[in-house]
Amino acid sequence: MNDLDLEKLLKRPRDYQNIDGVGELSMGAFALLYSLLLWLQLHAPATSIWHQMYAFIIYWTAMSLTIHYGSRAIKRHITYPRTGFVEYRSQFKTARGWAVMAISVCTAALVSAGLALAFRRHFAVSVPFSLFGLLLAVGYIWHARSMYWKWVVFLAMIAGTLAVVLLPANILDSLAGHSHFGSAVTSEALGAFWLTWLIIGALFLVSGGTSLWLYLRHTQAPVPGV
Amino acid sequence: MNQQIRAITELDRVIHEPGRLMIAALLFVVERSDFLYLQHETGMNKGTLSSHISRLEEAGYVEVTKTYRGKVPQTLLRLTPEGRKAFERYRRMLKDAL
Repeated sequence: MNDLDLEKLLKRPRDYQNIDGVGELSMGAFALLYSLLLWLQLHAPATSIWHQMYAFIIYWTAMSLTIHYGSRAIKRHITYPRTGFVEYRSQFKTARGWAVMAISVCTAALVSAGLALAFRRHFAVSVPFSLFGLLLAVGYIWHARSMYWKWVVFLAMIAGTLAVVLLPANILDSLAGHSHFGSAVTSEALGAFWLTWLIIGALFLVSGGTSLWLYLRHTQAPVPGV
Repeated sequence: MNQQIRAITELDRVIHEPGRLMIAALLFVVERSDFLYLQHETGMNKGTLSSHISRLEEAGYVEVTKTYRGKVPQTLLRLTPEGRKAFERYRRMLKDAL
């Protein structure tokens, strides 16, 4: 075994984390449930509970718990009995984990600062709002680049995001229920934001569902009692 | 003798065997895993995998814990701190040698 094979082998446990498509299913469920919440907030009357902070917190908690326990259930009842159990090292134990965390925090801070500046100066943030789907698509293919069929999903994500950007303003406006946040976030931007989450979420679910189906097809169910 | 060639002779023999190297490499990146996972990833049969694990356990590189998942017996494996150091040393020496 040469050095290159060894490095490849060291990456296998990381790939195993999503061997059953659970990562994509979780992301898809998150995106669709978030787009549902967004739809409710955009279309419900101003007096509705969907505009109350407590409803938001309850919804967010229920959504997070559903995704967390749903993923665990798939792992526990399908993946571990078929191809084995793996407990990953804490991110805090590896230099790479710290680096990823530092980059994430810096990116979040930069994006927040950019948005805050845009709101203060009344810049229109429609374009970044509409194109964040490209970032999600790139993140998706970065993790899935070794599987050729996932490039089709990636291209569908890119096409979907660009199609949303090119949609007529009146359609996006009606999708957002004519809601807007000041002059910076227009109703077109909100409509595009909502539709992008919906499309990306559906594609993540399709990708995760296909991965799970392929996994079930290519692995053997455990023999009961053994 | 050339220093690079000498480095090859100094490689840890316990880890250098391809089967055990696969096990050590897989366990190096995780906290712990079960026997079934190693079997799935390495493609070894139960007997061969067991013998390699025993050899690593004898060397103090792997810790084996027998437990149950529900009613099903489960063998959990973890690289010990010595095993982790030995693998890191092996990886460094292999890089130098190549």
